[in-house]
Amino acid sequence: MRKRWIGLAVLLLGAALAQAEVRIGVTLSATGPAASLGIPEKNTLLLIEQGTFGLPKGVKVRFFVLDDGTDPTAAVKNTKKLIQENRVHLIIGGTTSPNSLAMIDAVAEAKVPFISLAAAKAIIYPVDAKRYWVFKTPQTDELMSKAVVEDMVARGIKTVAYLGFNTAYGEGWAKEFAKAAKAAGLQLVASERYSPKDTSVTGQVLKILSKRPDAVLIGAAGTPAVLPQRTLVEKGYRGQIYQTHGVANPAFLKVGGRFVENTLLPAGPILVAAQLPNTFPSKRPALTYIAAYEAKYGVGSYSTFGGHAYDAWQIAKGAIERALKKARPDDLAAFRKALRDEIEATRGVVGVHGVFTMGPTDHLGLKFNEAAVMVRVKNGNWVLERTFR
Amino acid sequence: MDPTIFGFLLSDGLISGALYALVALSLVLVFAVTRVILIPMGEWVMYAPLTQAGFLEGRLPATVGLSALLLLVWAVLDRRRGRAPWLLAGWAVGVGLLGMAGVRWPSLAGPIAFLVVLPLGPASFRLFFEPLPQGSVLLYLILAVGLHFVYKGLGLAFFGPDQFRLPALWPGELGVLGLPVPGQGVLLVAAALLAMAGLFLFFTTLYGKALRAAAVNRLGARISGISVREAGRVAFLLATAVGAAAGLLAAPLTNASYDMGFLLGLKGFVAAILGGLVSYPLAVVGGGLVGLLEAFSSFYASAYKEAIVFTLLLPVLAWRSLSALTLEEEE
Amino acid sequence: MRRAGLLGLVLLAALPWLVPPFYQTLLVFTAIAALVAAGLYLLTGLAGLTSFGQAAFMGVAGYTSALLALRYGVDPWLGLLAGLAVTGLFALVLGLLTVRLKGHYLPLATIAWQVALFIVMGSWVGLTGGRTGLADLPPVRVLGRALTDPRSYFYLAWGLALLYAGLLHRLVHSRHGRMIRALRGDAVAAASFGARPPDLKLWTFVLAALGAGAAGWLYVHFIRFVNPSPFSLEASIFYLIMAVVGGVQSLPGVFLGAALLTGLEQWLKDLLPLVFGKTGNYEIIAYGLILVGILLLAPKGLWPWIEARLPRARPPRPEGPGLSPRAASLADPLLEVRGLTKSFGGLLAVNRLSFEVRRGEILGLIGPNGAGKSTTFNLLAGVLRPDAGSVRFAGREIAGRYPFETVRLGLVRTFQHPHLFPEMTVLENAMLGTFPRTRAPLLASLFWLDRAEERRAAAEAYRALEAVGLAELAFEKAGRLALGQQRQLELARALAADPLLLLLDEPAAGLRAGEKRALAELIQGLRERGITVLLVDHDMELVMHLVDRVVVMHYGEKLAEGSPAEVQRNPAVVEAYLGGVA
Repeated sequence: MRKRWIGLAVLLLGAALAQAEVRIGVTLSATGPAASLGIPEKNTLLLIEQGTFGLPKGVKVRFFVLDDGTDPTAAVKNTKKLIQENRVHLIIGGTTSPNSLAMIDAVAEAKVPFISLAAAKAIIYPVDAKRYWVFKTPQTDELMSKAVVEDMVARGIKTVAYLGFNTAYGEGWAKEFAKAAKAAGLQLVASERYSPKDTSVTGQVLKILSKRPDAVLIGAAGTPAVLPQRTLVEKGYRGQIYQTHGVANPAFLKVGGRFVENTLLPAGPILVAAQLPNTFPSKRPALTYIAAYEAKYGVGSYSTFGGHAYDAWQIAKGAIERALKKARPDDLAAFRKALRDEIEATRGVVGVHGVFTMGPTDHLGLKFNEAAVMVRVKNGNWVLERTFR
Repeated sequence: MDPTIFGFLLSDGLISGALYALVALSLVLVFAVTRVILIPMGEWVMYAPLTQAGFLEGRLPATVGLSALLLLVWAVLDRRRGRAPWLLAGWAVGVGLLGMAGVRWPSLAGPIAFLVVLPLGPASFRLFFEPLPQGSVLLYLILAVGLHFVYKGLGLAFFGPDQFRLPALWPGELGVLGLPVPGQGVLLVAAALLAMAGLFLFFTTLYGKALRAAAVNRLGARISGISVREAGRVAFLLATAVGAAAGLLAAPLTNASYDMGFLLGLKGFVAAILGGLVSYPLAVVGGGLVGLLEAFSSFYASAYKEAIVFTLLLPVLAWRSLSALTLEEEE
Repeated sequence: MRRAGLLGLVLLAALPWLVPPFYQTLLVFTAIAALVAAGLYLLTGLAGLTSFGQAAFMGVAGYTSALLALRYGVDPWLGLLAGLAVTGLFALVLGLLTVRLKGHYLPLATIAWQVALFIVMGSWVGLTGGRTGLADLPPVRVLGRALTDPRSYFYLAWGLALLYAGLLHRLVHSRHGRMIRALRGDAVAAASFGARPPDLKLWTFVLAALGAGAAGWLYVHFIRFVNPSPFSLEASIFYLIMAVVGGVQSLPGVFLGAALLTGLEQWLKDLLPLVFGKTGNYEIIAYGLILVGILLLAPKGLWPWIEARLPRARPPRPEGPGLSPRAASLADPLLEVRGLTKSFGGLLAVNRLSFEVRRGEILGLIGPNGAGKSTTFNLLAGVLRPDAGSVRFAGREIAGRYPFETVRLGLVRTFQHPHLFPEMTVLENAMLGTFPRTRAPLLASLFWLDRAEERRAAAEAYRALEAVGLAELAFEKAGRLALGQQRQLELARALAADPLLLLLDEPAAGLRAGEKRALAELIQGLRERGITVLLVDHDMELVMHLVDRVVVMHYGEKLAEGSPAEVQRNPAVVEAYLGGVA
């Protein structure tokens, strides 16, 4: 008798779940200056929506995807639209740091969990009343700077110059790299900026050359990162050139050609997944992801940025499944809260950029030695230089 | 500062300046005849090398279709003008054939890209500016901004967000006073001077004068046999030619992407205004000035480069404007 | 009219309760944009100064308030005051540098400091938090309640926007407002009726900047995050687009533009279901095409297009007492010219010219083409500076004085090619003449303290229109007048200035015979009102029948002087004119 009741309850619950839908809002910079980051993220979300990387069981998932044109105001408008009009349970996106930072207030106020795809540590740290709702998947600038600095120290580099974008990306690197370099006893002899749309960086490069640094770090993303490196090489610079993980897309190699040969850069493990030792946790999911992405968008088309969206989804998927046990999606507030709690409770989710284990004070949950590797450009390919394990 | 660095900065500034000067020349040309501040010129400057890059990769760039489409729309608009629609339709077909030729013979990609982009100027004038012959400068400006959005959006759709690198026409270097100057840069400077001289001379010919008269005095233009419409189309055509050539020559040095045009156009505009939006030689001087300011400020304080360049402009502007400080009518 | 306005206000107040939350958010952004666009209405639409730098002013106020709040815990309301003060200061300094620039130099100057300020906001990381920006700004509080939801912020934002619009509306319909509108493209005419163009431009500039500043403050405390990107050149251009699309020459127009484009951006996101399956992005293309389409359809903006289709109420006829008349001058001769000389690049246009105008007479200044009449006129009117010589008017030296100074003394001019303002009504054009006779300062106009004086000025101008026979057309746009009527209006405007001496520059040029006769009668009438007239013309017939005395100029010098009959008998004059008039 009792069993029958339970059976009926399960049945009813199942019916309710079958009708319920989980709505996920996405705002990305598919146009504007950060388009080279936002487009692979969008492409990845398209694959996710089609179910390529698995969908949570027992519930329908709907995606609402908006473009913010790399404009924080538009990102906030999108966020409010997604929350107020589409009544989403979770927001993924905020391709750039300013966009993500701008979205914090909007999500915290509406009490909607948010997984950011941007780098700055300030997005999730410190976890205060607002950032209670905010998580992110990409490695922080701090983490990546640590990788660069460790590599520099290991190579006996004493002096280094920085040349980066005059955008949030370049600024984040400038700040974190300066901090890490100082801590490691590296001397930062020049810190210069340029615009992604500049047609010449000769002035900056001459300034750097005049300081004769052992190495130069270029803090830039996508193909505009080529120009400073090319100018350095053309003006006869012989030291080691480092780039950041922002360049990790195929167009960089194509445009860079011989000028970017032997460049070193830190990156998430996905960039050189096939070359990783089998024991490296991210290897398998990264290969799966790359295969699916290339099947759809062409061989060699994958970049590390799409991987952040994939990781966000791996975290969200598990959290949704667990949250469904605690609240029903039609109870908006309760489900958002449950989802938030479950995202925070993420343990050991293996993504393409590392293993995520979050907690009340850590809303990123990546470990340095699993989330960063050093890569060298060799013969126009990404080659694993070293891991930090 | 040691003389080598000074020399490098000087040559870099002059090369950048030549690019700005070419854009400035095209803007002055268009403004002098039509009173349009042609913001989408920056996009067209980029379209040329991006189209070339498409050919080099063996693709048919979408600009071919865009160019042909605009010409066909133009043909439809002018359908009651005797042979004009057929000529225009023929031009559109010609652009299509050129596109195929570009895919077939990549060695001709540069000139073909130039010819493919060329109709965009006059067609845009016919479609968007000719219907409003009496517009104010402000109205034309906002129209131009609208077109800038359209062409920029199309640029992203056609070519993607990435930059493209193009082979240099003159890959070597030229020693000038012991300094290696990239050959491509020399070409760019030469092109700027050539375009300046050409336009200057062109506007001393009867046809050139009539063209400019069309902007100032409609009656005078009619007497000399040029309609305001024709003047506008010719100005847009010439300007697009200058802009596209600038893009093709500069791209091997600077790379090219869909979103680099606006800033380029802005700096060209600055140079053009330093020339009072009327003088070709002064526009070139203005371009050089902007280029040099930029090169030296990027050496001294790269984070504030743009701020320095634009702040230093203010006294120059005041000085240029000083001569006109008496009470007299504006515009 | 008033009832419709009230109804609109009630409707607006109810709006946030009628629309879903996201639209409340959009309405807040609309108000923010409208504040900036309303500044552009004043600056670009009325004063004709195109600014590409309004977003920079938003940034100055926004950052001021944000930094005070984050670093020193200053309340946002104090931040607003501080923000506006700093913005005003910036605008004052930049305005001093730029409003005197002419033609295209001014817009470029605005671009220059827009770019420079943007870079500073982004690069002075220590102060501004750089491009990454500063998060966690405090919300605005009213009576202890934090305005964090879009509905309550709606009232704050729209309250400020409407307050600002109200101030501008008052200003525009004041003596200064009319002058600001007159400045547009015709600083000479404005200066001839007592405006100081650079000062007025400067105030316009500061006022527009303050609107943008308020918008910037609203923006940062709504988003509660600040970084430079909303204060970029692109943003400035965007506000200019809004204003132009809606109709930059009217307040409803700029509000309409702000609402339309704020909405359009969102509708396109809904309408173009491009999102999935396509990696390209077509919103900006559609946006650009719609923008171009609107302008092709309605080149003056949408509001004028709509307004032309709305019924219009005729305002009441101005009545009541006029302005107090000027104290008559007892000086005789009223105007004394001694040794007046002016050359242009070595060419002597006027050479040691001396003559006088006696109180109450009509003096004709004639001469063949190129005799130097126009130069003399411009020297007397203060448009040109003489190289040498003296001009005494009503006992005071005025050589080299600016027109806005001499008009106050009662020296009033008309223009050969009527310098009227086609977008203003006939009455408003005539009211420009009362500017030197009225006193209300700009701030008084903003806060509606100038009403009594305004009424008297309107009555005075209306009487001047009656005097020239244009009262029937008082509320028509001046652009609709025929040439003869335009001359009449020029006269009416001059009369409204209560002249002691009226300088008439070729008033009969281009008129038909009938119109000329009417004009002659009008000028005769002026003498009866005790106005002294100096008439410059080469229409011998008109001059000879009208004037008491004639001064004949030839090659920049005085050739003859005397009664019309005397001069006509003078062989030198006949000689000069046979060559000139034939």
